[in-house]
Formats: sequence, structure tokens, C-alpha cells
Amino acid sequence: MLMALVALIGLLVSLYLTLYKLGRIGTLACGTGGCETVQLSRWGDFLGLPVAVWGAGFYVLVLALCLAGLQDRFADSRGLARILLVITGWGVLFTGWLTYLELFVIHAVCRWCVGSAVMVVVLFGLAWWDWRTVTGGKWQVAGGNDGGR
Amino acid sequence: MVNTPAKQRTPARRDPKSTRIFYLALAVIAVAGIGALGYLSQRPRAQVVTQVDSTLPKVQSNGYVMGSPSAPIEVVEFGDFECPQCGRWATLTEPDVRTRLVQPGIVRMRYIDFPLSMHRNTWQASRAAACADEQGKFWPMHDKLFETQDEWNGIATRSPDDVFKRLAGQLGLNQQQFNQCVDTRKYQAKIQAHEALALQRRAEGTPTFVIGNQMVTQALTYDEFKKLVDQALAKSGAPLRTPVESGATKGATKGARKTPAGQ
Repeated sequence: MLMALVALIGLLVSLYLTLYKLGRIGTLACGTGGCETVQLSRWGDFLGLPVAVWGAGFYVLVLALCLAGLQDRFADSRGLARILLVITGWGVLFTGWLTYLELFVIHAVCRWCVGSAVMVVVLFGLAWWDWRTVTGGKWQVAGGNDGGR
Repeated sequence: MVNTPAKQRTPARRDPKSTRIFYLALAVIAVAGIGALGYLSQRPRAQVVTQVDSTLPKVQSNGYVMGSPSAPIEVVEFGDFECPQCGRWATLTEPDVRTRLVQPGIVRMRYIDFPLSMHRNTWQASRAAACADEQGKFWPMHDKLFETQDEWNGIATRSPDDVFKRLAGQLGLNQQQFNQCVDTRKYQAKIQAHEALALQRRAEGTPTFVIGNQMVTQALTYDEFKKLVDQALAKSGAPLRTPVESGATKGATKGARKTPAGQ
């Protein structure tokens, strides 16, 4: 439940940054703050889309998986726990790369991006805890009767 | 999620009451968040327009001027050649402004360098534009620099002067004169004076426009720009002229013409 709430807040932050990037919120100008510098740098886009859009997609996916996990059918699902661990782990790596760019390449820090990074790390921590709880810390991909559980 | 230990493979049962509270909290956060985003995105952006402090000194630098000396409104732009939003303004909005407001003699544009420290190659770009101005080609170079921003900005290269020299060749400038001008940093002091002026005028970023007694730091759309020009015209008492009524003076956009500062 906590993961779903964090993912929802992260989604809202990503939507805010997406609207900002599209010029619908705030002032799009250079030199007026860290977020402007980061968003307007070439690293503000990834594979043709604003990074914030990728972030929104990430949070939507995590939120959907968390809500699925709340259904009886998927309660205690090892597969779901593994997927969440992998996705949030990837999120931590991607966020780490973005934070590196902010600190050492762009030389500007966007506080909204920092907030999002913290949420991704929290999501990973919760996913790790959940995975440990459900599987006992054993990565059983092949064999075993997962059966959606 | 779930918290049943692996050894106890029994489906988790949730308290229906806590589940209801959870979904309620989720819905409240979603509605509040979406409502806030909707409000923020609908809020008019014109709120960032501020009044110019009348005690500030007049703009003393000539900068680079485009338009009729008799145009009733002068717009000062503090710009940074490496700023993506200045590039957005220069490539998307400024062509319309030139056609519909500068050529008819309604507006005179004055560009003043405001190189921001975050941009590695912007000083070189400003110097290159000044060198082009020496040969009467500031505005063609201005346009070229913004069009090719991705080729010479601080992320693309550490040797932007090579790109500028190529652009100078494309614009038909005297290559030897331009190269020497760039290599010797001939107009460094001029750019420094422009930067000092921008700071003195309390420009906070780029592009910053001073239109009449209003100042805005934003890559304006044409409609936003026109609205501020109309307000300045109304305050100045000058007759509101449309492009059709005033007639276009096409030559007004050719080259960089310097006139005494009006702001």
C-alpha cells in the first residue's frame, strides 16, 4: 500500500515536470533556477521524449503493479515481487545516472528531480523488503510452482 | 504490497476497513494532485511580467538594432546565444515579430548580450556575433548561431570558434578579417559591457525582454509579445497601427543598424 502511495506521488511530480517542460507551467527561460537549467539542457530529453515522461511511465507501471498486488489473486505473488524489484532497481540506476549528470555535467540541481530520486530509492527499498518477505531472499526464476504467487 | 513470510505460503488477508482507507487516501491524493496541476497549467503565464524600476539608469549600450529609428516602441532583448529558450524565441517567434511588427515600423528590436555562466561557449558566440557585426552581418550571424546551436554549444564541442568560422564563410564574410577578430577576442570588452548592463537592469535570465515599462524573462509566443507591445503603445500614446496600415519597410530588417538607445 505504501509503495502505491509513493508511486502516485512520484507520478504527480513527473506530470508536473512534464507540464513544465512543455511550457504549460512556470517560466521557460535560461538562468532562472536549477530546474530550468536541468530541463533545458540536452539531457532533459531521452530517446526523443522528455525525461519526465519516462518518469511518469515508470511510476504508472509501478503503481499498476502495486495495485495488482493488492488483489487476492496476486497476493504473495513471488513473480510480482521479482518484477517490482527489477523495475525499481532499474529506476534506481537510471535515477543515479541522472543525478550524476546534474552534479557533474550540467552543474545544476533540480529539487523536483531530487524529490523524484528519493521516491525511486524508497520504492526500491520497499520492493526489496517485499521481495525478501515473499521469497525469503531466494531468486527462484526457474522451477518451483510460482503460479502467479 | 504483501508481507507474508515465504515459509508461510498462505494468501494475505487484508482488513477491509484499512483497504477502504487506503483507496480513499489514494483517490484524495490523485484528485488533489490532478486538481493542482490543472490549476497551475491554466494559470496565465503573463503573471511573470514585472514593472521596470523607473529609477534604473537608461540603457546606454547601442547593442544591435533592427528596425526603424522612428518606430514608436523599442524592445530590448537580453539574450544568450547558447540558451535553448533564446533559440526557441529566435527561430519560432522572432521571424513573425520581424514580419508583423519590425518591418511595418511598429517595433525596433535591440539585442544585448547576456552570456550566462552556465553556458560554456556563449562568450565565444557573442564575440563571433560582434565580429560579424563589424562586417555588417550581425543579424544573419545571430540567426545562424541560433539555428546551429546544437553544433557548437558546450555539450557539442570545446572548439566552437571552428564552427563560427565556418558559419562566417557561409554568410560570405571576409574570412581572414573574421578569423582574426575571433582569434584576438577583439570585442571581449564590448560583451562584458553588455553583460554588466544586463545585470544592472536586473535581468534574471534569458531571454529577458524590456517592452515599455514592463520586463519579462521568458521565451514569449507571438501573441504574448504582441499583447505587451500593444500595452506599451497604449501607454506611449502612439497610434495603434496594423501592418497593413503602416506599410512594410522591408529594408528595416537588413543588417544591424545602430541608433541611440531609447530605453
